[in-house]
Amino acid sequence: MPLLLSSFAGRSFQSGIFRRRTDTSRSRKSEMATPPILSLVLPSETGRVLSIQSHTVQGYVGNKSAVFPLQLLGYDVDPINSVQFSNHTGYPTFKGQVLNGQQLWDLIEGLEANDLLYYTHLLTGYIGSVSFLNTILEVVDKLRSVNPNLTYVCDPVMGDEGKLYVPEDLVSVYCKKVVPVASMLTPNQFEAELLTKLRIGSETDGREACNILHAAGPSKVVITSINIEGNLLLIGSHQKDKEHAPEQFKILIPRIPAYFTGTGDLMTALLLGWSNKYPDNLDKAAEIAVSSLQALLQRTVNDYTSAAFDPQSSSLEIRLIQSQDDIRNPKLTFKAHKYS
Amino acid sequence: MAPPPILSLTLPSETGRVLSIQSHTVQGYVGNKSAVFPLQLLGYDVDPINSVQFSNHTGYPTFKGQVLNGQQLWDLIEGLEANDLLYYTHLLTVCDPVMGDEGKLYVPEDLVSVYREKVVPVASMLTPNQFEAELLTKLRIVSETDGREACNILHAAGPSKVVITGIDIGGNLLLIGSHQKDKEHSPEQFKIVIPRIPAYFTGTGDLMTALLLGWSNKYPDNLDKAAELAVSSLQALLRRTVNDYTSAGFDSQSSSLEIRLIQSQDDIRNPKLTFKAHKYT
Repeated sequence: MPLLLSSFAGRSFQSGIFRRRTDTSRSRKSEMATPPILSLVLPSETGRVLSIQSHTVQGYVGNKSAVFPLQLLGYDVDPINSVQFSNHTGYPTFKGQVLNGQQLWDLIEGLEANDLLYYTHLLTGYIGSVSFLNTILEVVDKLRSVNPNLTYVCDPVMGDEGKLYVPEDLVSVYCKKVVPVASMLTPNQFEAELLTKLRIGSETDGREACNILHAAGPSKVVITSINIEGNLLLIGSHQKDKEHAPEQFKILIPRIPAYFTGTGDLMTALLLGWSNKYPDNLDKAAEIAVSSLQALLQRTVNDYTSAAFDPQSSSLEIRLIQSQDDIRNPKLTFKAHKYS
Repeated sequence: MAPPPILSLTLPSETGRVLSIQSHTVQGYVGNKSAVFPLQLLGYDVDPINSVQFSNHTGYPTFKGQVLNGQQLWDLIEGLEANDLLYYTHLLTVCDPVMGDEGKLYVPEDLVSVYREKVVPVASMLTPNQFEAELLTKLRIVSETDGREACNILHAAGPSKVVITGIDIGGNLLLIGSHQKDKEHSPEQFKIVIPRIPAYFTGTGDLMTALLLGWSNKYPDNLDKAAELAVSSLQALLRRTVNDYTSAGFDSQSSSLEIRLIQSQDDIRNPKLTFKAHKYT
């Protein structure tokens, strides 16, 4: 029989009779000053991330995949859940609710009214409509009016393996409006091709795609997986200033014979986390991110196999909780090869 | 392609799968923001249903956001059910009967009796504070004996585990825990003396409940040990919070403090045992 824990204790509001009195603390009256945001005040190599992604009750995609790793790396993360679904769309069915642009903006206004809009980073992933994407652009402007040095890490989720899985009209919005305001972009091969209108059939093409994207906006670009002649590569590129050619590198990635969900969202979060700790060494940040992700994927396949499941018979839920040490203290198992 | 099997069930593990139905605030550490991360650190797969999504908690002068209604909550449960995803080892739920009440005390007596008559009987573990324990038992708690008696009353109504998280007795702050292992024997009861910290915090209650869930599942027959670990973690976090605010030049009594949850993750994962439970004989 399942164990039930029911608590009245987790009350977050001043709701009269259920006012918290825990330890020595009494529920505060609203005349008291609002607490300062310590993650900004104290010197630290981490920061405060606003992450606008989907939330699934079960499973590890969107914010479920991105927030925990960033918290493990020491970031205070403020998630705005663009949807709340029972589970991800890899299942036969799902139910839940979607946020519209106005509701997103309400949350931003709530934060603004309390002077809570100072973020070091903005992170976005899958966005399902042009109207929501346009509201995101307004969020970028608003956040940058508070912190002009905001780093916007954008995963331009549009499709994979040649298939578009967002409405077609999003592509030009990403191209014309989003890419120019992104600080770091993490497209996959298909998305990089869509954004640059370039077919990527070689490493040279991959590097050229990065150059095109730099010219459009972001100083950091990571094309997270490119299929070139049977090999899987990550190509990264950092344009430190306009006068010099970007520093570019590649990492060879093993093919794992299995399908996973949520790995893209996790990868982008890891790239944000580590590139902020190594701001001048995107190659090092990528090595660490890849090492973490690969360890997690290996563990996932092993765990499913040990439990007597054929890892190729379904897409696998990543073992995120069980891999937290690989995220916090990854063993560096991958090396970036710098292009000279 | 077939949907993935839920590994957290098939693999033998000392942790489990928790459904946590609490509020979500974009900024700050209350509700699910306070409960989910610690449980994940302790190795649990946590499935959060966010009963609300607010910009920040209501300790601030203002907040904006959306509330889930009963039907929307049920839609999520139906979505999970349709995919055979309703197997949980633990359910963590919070009922918030009143929201945005501008700090006014408001007692819907019939709601209290609903909790008492319907919710308490189905709970396996209850973590009321002193005020809530008094409401549920109709007993005034002014001594340790009263606290233990309140636990007995609650056991009789339902839960085999009760932790009254902060009781003011004679100037001291106490936690009183009680585990009735079977109906034939009297419950094993204990207390932990808790220091008074001269500061206000938000989210500590939600965090405490999550820690009690997490540790009591790892030590199912030793509620006293679970409580020692939970209190040790929480106190380390509170001390760090006060220290960090003070180091940053803030008077820790001038505002309620946001708990340093992220910065205290080691205290949650591997707490130093600094508090001892005193068993009542």
